[in-house]
Amino acid sequence: MSTANNPDLLAVTGVSKHFLGLRAVDDVSLQVRKGEIVSIIGPNGAGKTTFFNLLTGQLAPTSGEVRLRGQLINKLAPHNRAQLGMGRTFQIAKPLIALNALENVMIGAFMRHRGLSTARDKAMAVLEKVGLAHQARVRAGDLTLSERRRLEVARALALEPEIVLLDEVMAGLNQSEVGQAIELLQGLHAEGFTFLIIEHNLKVVRAFSDRVVVLDRGRLIAEGTADQILNSPEVVKAYLGDGHQAVELGTL
Amino acid sequence: MNKTEQPNLRTSAAAGAGSAADTGIESGNRALFKYLGGMALAFLPFVLLVDDAHWLNIIAFTYLMGGLAASWNIIGGFGGQFSLGHGVFFGIGAYLAARLYVAYDLSPWITIIPCALFAALVAVLISWPTFRLRGPFFAIATLAFNEVAFVIANHFESVTGGPRGIMIPFKAGFANMIFRERWQYAVLMFVFLALVIAITIVLRRSRLGYYLLAVREDEDAARASGINVLSVKLQGMALSAGLTAMGGTLFAMYLRFIDPPTIFNLQEVGVKFALLSLIGGVGTVAGPLLGAALIIPFENFLRAELANALPGMNLAVLGLLMVLAALFMKRGVVGAWRDLLIWFKSRKGAGK
Repeated sequence: MSTANNPDLLAVTGVSKHFLGLRAVDDVSLQVRKGEIVSIIGPNGAGKTTFFNLLTGQLAPTSGEVRLRGQLINKLAPHNRAQLGMGRTFQIAKPLIALNALENVMIGAFMRHRGLSTARDKAMAVLEKVGLAHQARVRAGDLTLSERRRLEVARALALEPEIVLLDEVMAGLNQSEVGQAIELLQGLHAEGFTFLIIEHNLKVVRAFSDRVVVLDRGRLIAEGTADQILNSPEVVKAYLGDGHQAVELGTL
Repeated sequence: MNKTEQPNLRTSAAAGAGSAADTGIESGNRALFKYLGGMALAFLPFVLLVDDAHWLNIIAFTYLMGGLAASWNIIGGFGGQFSLGHGVFFGIGAYLAARLYVAYDLSPWITIIPCALFAALVAVLISWPTFRLRGPFFAIATLAFNEVAFVIANHFESVTGGPRGIMIPFKAGFANMIFRERWQYAVLMFVFLALVIAITIVLRRSRLGYYLLAVREDEDAARASGINVLSVKLQGMALSAGLTAMGGTLFAMYLRFIDPPTIFNLQEVGVKFALLSLIGGVGTVAGPLLGAALIIPFENFLRAELANALPGMNLAVLGLLMVLAALFMKRGVVGAWRDLLIWFKSRKGAGK
């Protein structure tokens, strides 16, 4: 595959991660093109977050290749991957609680903008984009869970990334907050941002995913559009066990 | 970043710039104003007590310790790396400048910067492996460095004078950084303090300053934001160590006698820097200065009033106060002050 005309922004080929005997991620391949939203679903313990950590550099893969814009990034540290254009959020939100919301986003903006005032203006613009501008002066520790999640997305966006990896940004949010979060993602998608998302809520996944992949016990067991996936017998089996109808999953 | 959203970002950035004044990050002018005001306040006791030799000594030492605590605060407070080994850098500044002056007649004015750079280099070399450790483990490792430095200073007599130390002969003159009058030392220490605080303010408003805070708050989040965590820690440590060494040089020329028990005394040096910052408010610009302004004169008072009554009584009282401060003012004087302001504002709001 030549680098110059590689259409995939992120290309993962045969990636595995073994912890002693456990195959947490087993020979997973996945491509994400520019402008796409790809969602990863799967039951608890399927290896979704481990897979994410292999992409962002928190963990090193036992075998396989991770390429960003054709460049092999397997061995790069997390901060190098961020500089190459990979933004991420964490499953357990990690806001810098002693700093205010604006300063949190500035931490991200500083990567591409050294000066204080430029970084501050960029950060303010991102806060407006995610609808947190009115909370700019509030300490991150005093924000609600929903706002903290937004703040993390804002910090990742401030890196001006090629692709953003979101790890269950909607977990623990109430119905209306989930609705707002979906709206935000759809807006960002329309602007051309590329997302790879871990999500538990299947209804949410259907609302904005171009493609869905399913992980189960470390293996990629299905890939397709949201509707295809929700009607796939294999996926139903992974989620609910044997003897259930595909229809039940579709209504989840 | 793709091209279609670029103009969008720019327009909203312009809108954001207008409201930047009330976003919690103060303007450069306001920071400068506060700095000048704070320094004027810090200089006031000097002006009031300039005729009192006893108080001048205390004031000079308070300025020096305030500057040293503020130097420690750069990596210990902003960077969150709780070093108890800053005595090593303090010692490098003191010993190196004293030896160069006594043996080669080199003015401390000339050697103070090279000594600081050497201390910064040593700091990088010994911190490189140590920064793999987190929290208390890092603190314990730095404590060990202080003990190693003590042994080295005792052993290499040709450089350090060993247990006998180094005596700096009294040859008054500006070029030698040795002064006849106490007030001249007080001014010297004040300039050091003002320099360190100015550097801290600039740092607090810089990318490195924000990166140190990010590293302190959450290393994983910092990495995900493109921050090279090790490099940021090393830069903070080098700056902190260099300034600490400058304080060491001033200390040596002020006391004109240095030996290992004085320089590498944990209670009075390595741990004291951290303690003053903690009392005042760790990770704030004014905290270390406030800590020094409270503790140093108070210590002197206790030593004078209580040491004769019952040996060790002054230390017991000081220790008790610090326990109380740790229990009831976890974020130091600055934190308590901020809480008080918030309480006052909320009370005023409720009264309306």
